[in-house]
Amino acid sequence: MKNYKMAWRNLWRNKRRTVITASSVFFAVFFALVMRSLQLGTYDSMYKNIIESYSGYIQVQDEDFWENKIVDNVFKNSEELREKITADRNVEDVIPRFESFALASSGSRSKGVMVMGIDPEKEKLLSDVEDKLVKYRLTDEAISAIKSEEIPAYLEKNMDLFHGNSYSSDGRLQIELGIKENDEEYLMPLFEKYASVKNGYFSMGDNAALVGDRLARYLGLERGDTIILVGQAYHGHTAAGKYVIKGIVKIPNPDIENKIVYLPVDVCQTLYYADGMLTSMVVHLMDDDDDAINNTLKRLDSNIESPYRILGWKEMNETLVQQLDADNKSGIIMIGILYLVIAFGVFGTVLMMTAERRREFGVLIAIGMQKTKMAGVMVYEMLYIGLLGILAGVAIALPSIIYGYHHPIHFPSKFAKIWEEYGFEPVMAFQWIDKYFLSQSLVVAIIVLVAVIYPVVKIRNLKEVNAIKA
Amino acid sequence: MKVLELFNVHKVYNTTHVEVHAVNDVCLEFEEGEFAAIVGPSGSGKTTLLNMIGGLDMPTEGRILVNSTDLSTLKSSAIIDFRMRNIGFVFQSYNLIPVLTAKENIEFIMNLQKWPRKKRDKRTMELLKAVGLEDRVDSRPAQLSGGQQQRVAVARALASKPRFVLADEPTANLDTKSTENLLDIMEKLNREENITFIFSTHDARVVKKARRVITLEDGKVVSDEIRE
Ligand SMILES: Nc1ncnc2c1ncn2[C@@H]1O[C@H](COP(=O)(O)OP(=O)(O)OP(=O)(O)O)[C@@H](O)[C@H]1O
Ligand SMILES: [Mg+2]
Repeated sequence: MKNYKMAWRNLWRNKRRTVITASSVFFAVFFALVMRSLQLGTYDSMYKNIIESYSGYIQVQDEDFWENKIVDNVFKNSEELREKITADRNVEDVIPRFESFALASSGSRSKGVMVMGIDPEKEKLLSDVEDKLVKYRLTDEAISAIKSEEIPAYLEKNMDLFHGNSYSSDGRLQIELGIKENDEEYLMPLFEKYASVKNGYFSMGDNAALVGDRLARYLGLERGDTIILVGQAYHGHTAAGKYVIKGIVKIPNPDIENKIVYLPVDVCQTLYYADGMLTSMVVHLMDDDDDAINNTLKRLDSNIESPYRILGWKEMNETLVQQLDADNKSGIIMIGILYLVIAFGVFGTVLMMTAERRREFGVLIAIGMQKTKMAGVMVYEMLYIGLLGILAGVAIALPSIIYGYHHPIHFPSKFAKIWEEYGFEPVMAFQWIDKYFLSQSLVVAIIVLVAVIYPVVKIRNLKEVNAIKA
Repeated sequence: MKVLELFNVHKVYNTTHVEVHAVNDVCLEFEEGEFAAIVGPSGSGKTTLLNMIGGLDMPTEGRILVNSTDLSTLKSSAIIDFRMRNIGFVFQSYNLIPVLTAKENIEFIMNLQKWPRKKRDKRTMELLKAVGLEDRVDSRPAQLSGGQQQRVAVARALASKPRFVLADEPTANLDTKSTENLLDIMEKLNREENITFIFSTHDARVVKKARRVITLEDGKVVSDEIRE
C-alpha cells in the first residue's frame, strides 16, 4: 500500500475530526480571502474615487506648489511642456488645472473653498464633472409630493431618512433609497416629476461656476444663484469675482464635495490675475495599473526638470494612503489572529492523531516499517486535510468574490448615513482575484505543514518498546 | 542450523529507586524449525527477553546473534530493515492496522519488501486459507473477532517467510477454543514452512503444545526441556 493511499484511509478513521479540522481550515481560508478582497477592494475604490475626482494619477506642478499652494507658485501653460509630457508612451493627454483657495460667500454665509479651474472638455477624461451634476434632490416639497402618490412604506421611511440628499444618477438614488427592482418602473417617473433638478454645464469663457452639493447646501445656493469668490491672486493682487451657478455636483468624496467650486480654467486664470498660467497639469494615462504608473512616473521624473515637479497619486493623497495603510495593518492583524486560532485547532488534531496512534506506530516499527515512511503517511494526512480545506475555501470564496466584485455591497440606509457623515462613501467593493489569493492560501498551507513537524519529530524519537507497551 | 544465539544476556532497568535485573545471564540457542515456549511467572522477564531478541530493545550486557548478526552493531533504521526481512512479530492484541483489510494487513510486509503483485496475491491467499479466513479477505480488523484478528496477525508475521516468529502471549486474550485453534495453525505453519516459533505464555494449554519449554524465574533460565 502506497503512503498516500494509506494516509487517505487513515483520514477517515475519525471522520468527524477530519471534517471539523478541514472545515476550520476552510473557514480560515474563506474568511481571509473574502475579508482581504473586501478590504483591498474598498481601498481601491476609495483611491479610485479620489484619483478620478481630484488628483489624477500623476500631476506636473511647479516645484514649490505642493508645499506652498499659493497662486505665485504657478507655471506657464506652455506648448513645449505639454509636448514633453505627451511624448511619453503611456501618456494619452494632459488636463490643465488651476487650483486655489478663496472665500466663498452668498448672502450672510461664507466659507473657505477650493477653486478649481478646469477645461470643461478635457476634464471629461478624468473627473467628468458634467456626469456628476445632480439629477435628483429630495427636498421637503419633493418628498411630500411623492408621498401624496401611492408609494411603498419602505420608500416613505427611507426618503425621510435621506431628506435633503441629492443624486447624480438613477442607480445611486435607487440603491440609497432601497428601491426594489420591481418598483423601479413605477417609481422612477415620480422622482423624474417631483424631484428632478435642472442643471447645466459650462464651457470655456463662461462666467459660471459648478458647486459641490454639500457646499451649496451650506451656503444655501441653488442653480441660478450667484456665488462671490474672494482670495489672494497672483503677485499680491486681490482676486474677486461673481459667478452664476450653473450646476450642483455630487462628488464621491464627501470631503471634496464640501469645499469645491469649479470654474472654467480661463475664467479662473482671470480671477487670479494669472492669464496663461496653471497650477498643475494632470497627466492622463493610457495604462493605469500600478507598474505602468510607477514606470511612467519615473520616466517623467527624469525627462522633466526644474522648475517642475512630478507628483504621483500616493504623494498627493498622503493622508488617505496613511489612513488606509493603518487600516490595512489592522486588517492583517485580524487575519493573523484568525490564523492563530486555526493553527491551534490544526495542531490539536495533529496532537491527538499522534497520541492515539502511538501503539500502532510501535507495532508497525516492530514488524519492519521505517519511521520515515510512517512520517510520510502523517505528512500526507495533514496535506490532505490542508488541501481539502484550502481548496474548498478557495472554491467557495472565488464565486463569492466574483459576485461581490460585480455587485458591491451598499450599506443599508441607516449605516450609509452615518458612514457618509464620516466622509466615506457607503460602499464596500471587492477586489478582483489577485496576489492575495495565493498569499493567503500559502499561509494556511504553511500552518498545516508546520503542524506536521510535531508528529514527524515524535515518530523519529519514538522508542518502539515503550510504544508497544502503551 | 542455528537461527538464534544468546550469550550471557543481561537486562538491567535503572528505575529511580531500585535496580531491576529483568533478564539475568541468559544463554540460549535455537535451531531452525523449533516451536518453543517461554514460560514463567509474571515479571519473570519473558517480554523483555523477546523484545531483545527482536531488536526492539538492547541488552545491557551480553550478545545476541540473530542469523549470526549482532543487532546491537546496527543503526536503528538498519535494525528495522532487518526485522522486516527476518523476524515476524505477534503481540498480545491490537496487532493489525485498523484501516487495512485482512488481506492488506497480511500483504503489508510483502509490500514493504516490494514483492511483485502476483507473488504477493498468491502468498496472501495461501496464508488466509491456512488460518481459515479465506472468506474474510476484505474485512477490517474491527469486523473480526479477537481470535480471527490474532490469526491474521500470525499470517502477517509469516507472510514474507521470516527466519522466525516472535509471539508475546499471543493467546492471552482468547478463549479456549480460539487458543487451541490458533496454536494448531501456528504449529501447522511451523511444520509446513519450517519457520521457528518462539512464544511466551502463561497458559498451560499452550505450554502443552510446545516442543521446547524454557522456564524463566527472576530473569534466569531455570529449566529448558525439549520434548518430542
Ligand atoms: N521499562 C521498564 N523499566 C523498569 N522496569 C521494567 C521495565 N520493563 C520491565 N521492567 C521490569 O522487568 C521485569 C520483567 O518484566 P517483563 O515485562 O519482561 O515480565 P514478563 O515476564 O513479560 O511479565 P508478564 O507475564 O506479566 O508479561 C519486571 O520486574 C518489570 O517490572
Ligand atoms: Mg510480558
